[in-house]
Amino acid sequence: MHPRKIKTSRGWDNQLILQLMLLPALLTLLIFSYLPMFGIVIAFKDYNVLDGLFGGAWVGFDHFREMFGDERFHSALRNTLAMSSIKLVVTFLAPVLFALILNELPLARFKKWTQTLTTLPHFLSYVIIATLTMIFLDPKGIVNGLLQSLGLTNGPIEFLAEPGHFWTLGASLDLWQETGWGAIIYLAAITGINTEIYEAAKVDGAGRLRTIWHINLPAIRSAIMVLLILNIGSLIYGGSNFNQSYLLGNVFNRDTSYVLGYYTLDNGLLQMRYAFATAVDLFQSCISLVLLLAANWTAKKINGSNIF
Amino acid sequence: MNAIKLTWEDKAVNAAAVLISLVLLVVAAYPLYYVLINSLNDGADAASGHIYFYPRKFSLENYSMVFKQSYLITGLGMSVARTIVGTAAAVLVTAMAAYALTKEKLRFKKLYLAMAIITMYFSGGLIPLYFVLNELHLLNNFLVYVLPSLFTFFHCLLFMAFFRELPKELYESAYIDGANDLYIFFKIVIPLSMPVVATISLFVGVNHWNDYFVPSFFISRESLQTLPVILIRLLSLSEAQQQIQQYLGNHQSKVTMESLRYATLFVSILPITLLYPLVQRFFVKGMLVGSIKA
Repeated sequence: MHPRKIKTSRGWDNQLILQLMLLPALLTLLIFSYLPMFGIVIAFKDYNVLDGLFGGAWVGFDHFREMFGDERFHSALRNTLAMSSIKLVVTFLAPVLFALILNELPLARFKKWTQTLTTLPHFLSYVIIATLTMIFLDPKGIVNGLLQSLGLTNGPIEFLAEPGHFWTLGASLDLWQETGWGAIIYLAAITGINTEIYEAAKVDGAGRLRTIWHINLPAIRSAIMVLLILNIGSLIYGGSNFNQSYLLGNVFNRDTSYVLGYYTLDNGLLQMRYAFATAVDLFQSCISLVLLLAANWTAKKINGSNIF
Repeated sequence: MNAIKLTWEDKAVNAAAVLISLVLLVVAAYPLYYVLINSLNDGADAASGHIYFYPRKFSLENYSMVFKQSYLITGLGMSVARTIVGTAAAVLVTAMAAYALTKEKLRFKKLYLAMAIITMYFSGGLIPLYFVLNELHLLNNFLVYVLPSLFTFFHCLLFMAFFRELPKELYESAYIDGANDLYIFFKIVIPLSMPVVATISLFVGVNHWNDYFVPSFFISRESLQTLPVILIRLLSLSEAQQQIQQYLGNHQSKVTMESLRYATLFVSILPITLLYPLVQRFFVKGMLVGSIKA
């Protein structure tokens, strides 16, 4: 037996095994991520079912022109950007504060319970969150009852029927759902701080508040920056926007609840204007790509490292 | 107990932290508790409202009604089926790919990684995906729940970060014994990777359990609908009213459609509430590794 020969043939066998292990994932990417990318061509075509994806006449940027002329598109774009920006401002500091507070809790058991229960909403289906919202914010519901018995309002507040409330409502739901979850990563960073630093601070006479300000907060500063930048990158797709728009939007709050994701769905799958909806999606993808790249570039400037 | 003397500042910080946490705890957990107590209350009695702390007239009839509705049973069964099949398949595919991608000797590794990274930045969008699903006859097919979500790059990165932490000696001695990578993956790597397997399974499983988009827009056959879609129908009360009348007929029952809705809600919340605390201890660790790498 020639040892070298055995080694090479086994090397090839192993290479084959590795490639086969990767194959299912590769096929999934090719079929469900890359194949649809070719379908984007219909954004520039006059699509109809008979001609198929690659038939149909080229129409250039006609769909985009129509989109920019559509009043509902303007409304959807405005609502998307407004909701995402409000959520960004309102929700990015809350997990930081919550993590700092959790870290100060004196009883380990209570801390664990608080963490478990406040993280739970992150794992709930948006259908459940929407149902809970409707139950709790009903004009005859528990929140209105509480507000009235405390004398804070005269009549019931129409949270879901009043367009003026929708953006605040969306941001509040995000706060409720994601604050506990968002705190985990910061809490992990605080827990990783070397205990000697605390002892040194204590010797120097620093109290609890000064310790939080001078040790805990600086320890999570870079994590805060990274997450902030990532959130800016996803501004236009804005996580919960579609869910809230689709499940909590109604004829009364439509002026403020209608977002781009819903606009695409409306035109595409409901009205079957496939080519037009693809153009809307492409516009959305491009903006989000630009935002992501800009965010990544900024992160590089600040941290000296790529996020991805 | 007098080893550490608390200053007034310590006491104030403790008190403030406990107080704020208590408020947040109640705000986070009470809605779920409210659903529970209302689902355990007699429907007709609950209609008069004001059930805030415990069931006023305890009854399990709402739940027995849930399990008598054939459309709810079908939805529940389909949700369970897609969650189990979809999660097992996705975790296997993603973990195998992650293992291969951590091997230096893997050919075309850079190409594969680049292909995966691009999908984080750009996608074809909804309509082209719809066409692909249509061409592959996946619309109105159970497999539409499973196949498109077999691989997620973010989860792959978490697996890769964990696999890289495993001691190299494990592989080397197995190679010398003549084991191949498939054997090493299943017999050595996976048994040692339970924290990350549990974490990713929870993430993927929750996505499957909670998803309403795929069954709403890619499935029209009633027998393939999942629980979230049925909850959407119960969401709007007037629609639910019609549904319930259709199913209850003239049958005299103390179950109202609102109480039925509470019971259905709780059935769909329960699995996560039970599983999550068990997996939580793993993923704090798993996420930490992932976040350090990222």
